[in-house]
Amino acid sequence: MTDTLQIHIDRADGSLQRLIGLVERRGFHIDAMSLSDEGAMRRVQLQVRGRDAGRCTENLGRQIDKLIGATRVGCAPAPFAYRDSVAA
Amino acid sequence: MTAATALKPAPAAAPRSGARLLVSTLERLGVDVVFGYPGGAIMPVYDALTGSGLKHILVRHEQGAAFAADAWARATGKVGVCMATSGPGATNLITGIANAMMDSVPMVCITGNVATHLMGTDAFQEIDILGVTLPIVKHSWVVRDPADVPAVIEEAFHVARSGRPGPVLVDLPKDVQVGLTSEDFGFHYPNETTPVDHAAIAEAEQLIRAAERPLIYIGGGVKIAGAVQALRDFAGQTGIPSVSTLNALGSVRTDAPGFLGMLGMHGTKAANEAVQESDLLIVFGARFDDRATGKLNEFAPHAKVVHFDIDPAEIGKLRAVHVPVIGDLTAGIEALNARVAGAPLSIEPWIVRSTSNARRNAFRYDAPGEGVYAPALLNELSRTAGDSFVAACDVGQHQMWVAQHCEFSRPEAHLTSGGLGAMGYGLPAGLGAKMADPEAHVVTVSGDGSFMMNIQELATLRRYGVALKIVLLDNSSLGLVRQWQELFFAENYSEVDLSDNPDFVAVAQAFGIEAFMIDRRDQVTDGIARLLAAPGPCLMHVLIDPRENVWPLVPPGKSNAEMMHDTRFEGDM
Ligand SMILES: Cc1ncc(C[n+]2csc(CCOP(=O)(O)OP(=O)(O)O)c2C)c(N)n1
Repeated sequence: MTDTLQIHIDRADGSLQRLIGLVERRGFHIDAMSLSDEGAMRRVQLQVRGRDAGRCTENLGRQIDKLIGATRVGCAPAPFAYRDSVAA
Repeated sequence: MTAATALKPAPAAAPRSGARLLVSTLERLGVDVVFGYPGGAIMPVYDALTGSGLKHILVRHEQGAAFAADAWARATGKVGVCMATSGPGATNLITGIANAMMDSVPMVCITGNVATHLMGTDAFQEIDILGVTLPIVKHSWVVRDPADVPAVIEEAFHVARSGRPGPVLVDLPKDVQVGLTSEDFGFHYPNETTPVDHAAIAEAEQLIRAAERPLIYIGGGVKIAGAVQALRDFAGQTGIPSVSTLNALGSVRTDAPGFLGMLGMHGTKAANEAVQESDLLIVFGARFDDRATGKLNEFAPHAKVVHFDIDPAEIGKLRAVHVPVIGDLTAGIEALNARVAGAPLSIEPWIVRSTSNARRNAFRYDAPGEGVYAPALLNELSRTAGDSFVAACDVGQHQMWVAQHCEFSRPEAHLTSGGLGAMGYGLPAGLGAKMADPEAHVVTVSGDGSFMMNIQELATLRRYGVALKIVLLDNSSLGLVRQWQELFFAENYSEVDLSDNPDFVAVAQAFGIEAFMIDRRDQVTDGIARLLAAPGPCLMHVLIDPRENVWPLVPPGKSNAEMMHDTRFEGDM
């Protein structure tokens, strides 16, 4: 099952590392990723896939919601939209 | 996150350094004690400490600073603060940070670092401590401008204690510590409160009223949320029996009627059986840790679940939940109490059944032999010390015996490394707890393996005259590992022998600490009296039988229904 998460994240030290590390630690593969500027924030699109059947994207989303400086703005089943993106 | 409102700048006098701003911000936040260890990259901060209102406790290893700050926070309910220099100082904090993260303890860790222009160059004692600690902090910052110090520190305290608490890290490069600024903004963080979800509470009430075998499953969140009284009221007025995680022991008094004990791997038979039989689990601030649940898909197989938690990410993380109640536990439980008041539940048969099971399977202290029986000693210790007893545990068999056999009147009375299970916690944690609550009977209970992991903190006890009491249960081995080798690795006792331990009494005395040894059952009562009466720090070295095991035990990977028991107590002894 692949899902696409859209996240707004600030530019603080380690913020991207924090986000990606969390996704991997919680048992997801990142299949595609894009970054774009959105004013003072960055918009990140992540296409993720659980490493095993027990991983639920909704749960991952709640963990992301807890990241300080990050807000989840959407979660949809793939496809992944390369909107003015930088290749990951 | 809530937007903070900027207060007007404090009247700026002469420009001040980042280090001075750090100290004055900590003072302004009401910090009284800081545990730490200096070094090159944090020297400006240490320079600024002199003459400040902060009491700095010089531990002898940074891990001790982190553990002491953690226990200080658990004991006081305030944010614990520790500090270290860059590189090795910072990495020595890591186990303590992870420990606080796993048990949701609010802690602010301040590290020095090399100057910003050197960061990323492998400079002397440079470590990317922000990167290293990312998975084990609630949040972290590198401060890059001295003017940001007050705001970052205030935000750090806010993040550490708000919502689900946790440790945060503030990394201060050396140039930021010495850099001057005349700015000093204060921030005010409003309290965030999630409104009580009354619809969810109403659903919870319905499930509770419909249940025939409801059970309360208490986690560490109850204490953190200050929901102890609300929980006790709920348990009291409904009569619903309760079980507790390791971290939540004392949330209801361990001698309260209806309390069945700890659940899980080393839980009581009554608690585990009640969980397996229950048709409704009412979970307050617990996270379904595998040491509590055993094999997850056989855990409470017939139960619906009502889950109260402040952390939405805990809902459904490991177990499907029928009714989630997300938000502050105190408000949630009080709202539930208002609903269940006045209309009693009809669960009498279940109450009788589970509590009589508890009585029938109560722990026994009449093990054969003349040697010290650790469970009996610990039970007597806690009863003798009374309601002001506080245990700061290390990790191993002794930790499980404390959880099983000590009486606790409040959750702050049981300090233990629950989620991480870090050996070495006991001594520095006892130090922090005794400093936080000097009147209490604070006792570190340690094993011979664990004690050696932070034995250097005896010097800290001595220096500050902290009257911590230490019970060192010496089985000449890494007992819990030895037990697993015995039971699950065909008695292949690999690398667990500690029979060449030092003479712990002599070691303690060399640190200037009163110490004595006992090795017979008939010395226990006097030993406890002597220990508790000692005016200063004191160590009681207790030799116990190396073959003693912790019972009951749910084998790893098995369901909580498959407990192994102490065969000595089966049938007549
Ligand atoms: C830092 C750390 N290293 C290793 C372990 C694994 N471990 C768990 S219990 C234990 C043995 C503890 O021995 P001791 O402190 O003597 O206590 P006992 O079990 O004998 O009561 C070990 C090695 C751990 N929990 N923490």
